[in-house]
Amino acid sequence: MARVDGIAKATGAAIYAADVRRPGMLFAAVVRSPFPSARIVSIDASEARAMPGVHAVLTGQDVGSALFGRRVRDVPILAQSVVRFAGEAVAAIAAEDRATAQRAAAAVRVEYAPLPAVLTPEEAFAPGAPLVHEAAWAYDGAVVKEGDQPANLQSKVAWQAGGDIEAALAASAHTVDLEFTTPAQHQGYIEPQACVCEVGRDGRVRVWAANKSPYRLREQLATPLGLSPERYEVHLVPVGGDFGGKGAPMDVPLCAELARSTGRPVQLARRYTEDLMAANPAHASRTRVRAGCDADGRITALDVHLVFNGGAYAGFKPVPTVNLHGAHGAGSSYRIPAIRIQSLVAYTHTVPGGHRRAPGAPQTVFAVESALDELARVAGRDPVAFRRANLLRDGDAAPLGDTYAEVRGVQTLDAAMAAQRPVPAPAGMLHGMGIAIYDRGTGIGRSSMALRAEPGGGVTAFVSFPENGAGAHTAVQTLVARGLGLAPAQVAVEPLTTDELPPDDGVGGSRVTASVGELCARAVAAFQAERPAPGQSVQATITPGGTRRVTAFAVQIAQVAVDPETGAVHLLHMLTAHDVAEVVNPLAHQVQIEGGVVMALSAALLEDLAVVDGRVTAANLGDFKLASQRDAPPIEVVLVPGGLGVGAANVKGIGEMGNVAVPAAVANAVRDAIGARVRALPITAEAVYGLLHEGASA
Amino acid sequence: MNMRLKLNGDVVTIDTQPDAFLLEVLREHGLTGAKEGCAVGVCGACTVLVNGDPVSSCLLLAGQADGADVWTAEGLARAAPHIAAAFADNEGLQCGICTPGQVVSAYALLQKNPHPTDAEIRTYMAGNLCRCTGYASIRRSIEAAANA
Ligand code: FES
Ligand code: FES
Repeated sequence: MARVDGIAKATGAAIYAADVRRPGMLFAAVVRSPFPSARIVSIDASEARAMPGVHAVLTGQDVGSALFGRRVRDVPILAQSVVRFAGEAVAAIAAEDRATAQRAAAAVRVEYAPLPAVLTPEEAFAPGAPLVHEAAWAYDGAVVKEGDQPANLQSKVAWQAGGDIEAALAASAHTVDLEFTTPAQHQGYIEPQACVCEVGRDGRVRVWAANKSPYRLREQLATPLGLSPERYEVHLVPVGGDFGGKGAPMDVPLCAELARSTGRPVQLARRYTEDLMAANPAHASRTRVRAGCDADGRITALDVHLVFNGGAYAGFKPVPTVNLHGAHGAGSSYRIPAIRIQSLVAYTHTVPGGHRRAPGAPQTVFAVESALDELARVAGRDPVAFRRANLLRDGDAAPLGDTYAEVRGVQTLDAAMAAQRPVPAPAGMLHGMGIAIYDRGTGIGRSSMALRAEPGGGVTAFVSFPENGAGAHTAVQTLVARGLGLAPAQVAVEPLTTDELPPDDGVGGSRVTASVGELCARAVAAFQAERPAPGQSVQATITPGGTRRVTAFAVQIAQVAVDPETGAVHLLHMLTAHDVAEVVNPLAHQVQIEGGVVMALSAALLEDLAVVDGRVTAANLGDFKLASQRDAPPIEVVLVPGGLGVGAANVKGIGEMGNVAVPAAVANAVRDAIGARVRALPITAEAVYGLLHEGASA
Repeated sequence: MNMRLKLNGDVVTIDTQPDAFLLEVLREHGLTGAKEGCAVGVCGACTVLVNGDPVSSCLLLAGQADGADVWTAEGLARAAPHIAAAFADNEGLQCGICTPGQVVSAYALLQKNPHPTDAEIRTYMAGNLCRCTGYASIRRSIEAAANA
């Protein structure tokens, strides 16, 4: 079925944030720090101010000291006397056109006095390390307390269940103790961060922003200034790729200040280079995994210690723990009688870490599924049979105690293996097959919509959430049409501004279709009960909770060919098997999976922001490489239908199922091919060549 | 300078700086279908047809484009609507930010090669990055457009 937004997007008619034009609109440019840690000695903007066409030059002193953030409010609008990462905004220009703004930005003279920097969590946690923030515990939303150790902590969480972990490891017949690292990885959305702000005569601020959660944005903008959220009206525009990266206030507070000070609408659209240097990429990680099994190959213990580089600000993480909830899923698919997970996030003088498609899960699963693969091999077991023997069965609780309406890991694995066919490697290349498993629960978020009866029997669905590409608006069209017995073409879908509907939590967390399913069912029921006259509407809302607890399994199988001469890894085939309930739109569902797999293959083999001396050196899309048409292997999608889903549409989440376990599957395939274990992403030819020629196995 | 273009079939004159990039010129002219992604010629979001060839308009100076025959996704919406329709029908897009560029490249490919193989599509379209779809649905869309 055709996407409701398809033609507008494919013909260039859709208006994204950077396409918004307002009368008298000015264009912004930002001056950014080249130093990871420095005191601002002076800023001389006289030359920039004098340039024709320049309307404002703002520095930290001009914008006030209010702090912003998704949970912890520690992010200034512009650096206040110190800079904490290379790329931090120090001054901003608004000018008649973008070229003038950029020339003016280049003319701002900033004198810095470099300060000592901590660039990795290891440096940040060392005794006596310089502090990134003098009093991180004092920020609104902070979870650390004064005196917490180590210094420079953003967050620390620990979960433990079952028997004594050290005793269980000591009693194990076989053990592994391995460390894995992943680099900072940008989300790679093709649309750089962009927004437009306009201050009305009434003092209200109108915002158009590439942001996936407009109602949250409104609160995030208002609260730090002591204003009510209603002072902001956020217009919903299509988001040109999100993948978790577009949920923070980002540049909107600065853009609003430029609009206030100039009295003109202002657009702040980043260049991609700025996005790579200074947005909110996936946290770099270092994970130690200790795992054991008994002589029969049953897992006895899993101890996972994760350290994430949170960068200079914690304000890009929304969850109450200020951690990455993916850590909680370590080992969640298996029976594990003794488990311990610790996850620490460090402040460092590097680009702030944020969310990327199942935050923390790709890093966690890369480490754990690699380590368990190695444990199987150490125990002399086939990695597939080892996983099958240890997978949760129906009725089992997960290691940390979560229980589900059903557990379909074994069925998903069996379906994957039944479909799996070896693809031969070209002559002279080493063939490898690797597997990895992930499971994740599906929830429902807060949301709202309205249905208006139209003359002629059609309806318009007014929605409170933007379309980030995953297909929420098309799902609304499909489900409302189905519910009311209409053709899809009789259902129009229109986003309203945040002035017009009750709050929505934003698109993300693999909960969109489940939420939309429940919301549409309620809206349809209200519509049928009230039978509104043409021009009249009904409204529906949903709140989280109240659903059965479900988890969905994904099994990824990678086949690679490794060139023994160069170490280059070629992807031969990916098989991706998914435990699903109902599927609202089969084609959209399939493309969500395919897109997730390719994004993760790109992360596995290519992507690294290459932070050197605190600076992002892969600072354009030529250096921060994303997979292209040529890099994507054939992908076979296997669905295991018939599961129990959530909400009226009876679905399981899919948005974060395609990607998470893929890097581990590729790493395990490389292990199978070369007999040595890759322990860092991305898996470069250089790294594989090194392993081949050391002949070293882990 | 006054830049003369044949733009989506119409002759237009646009006042601009010779060192402005064609992408900015088009977007300032109200044609915002071509997007700025990478701005360094690798993502293809800014792809437009210049004298029949797909070009990264983020790298082409206005001075170099003077006198050219330029087509954007907006123009192809009228000249070759079956391509946009094929993308919409085959889930050849998600967020859509790459899509105007994909449509322009797909059009150019089909002009040169009306029935490309899967491998030919991959090679020709390698300069149009898409972060959302994983590319298979884009190939399926192009195949559908070829058979439309
Ligand atoms: S914006 Fe021109 S190629 Fe990316
Ligand atoms: S559809 Fe989002 S980048 Fe292609």
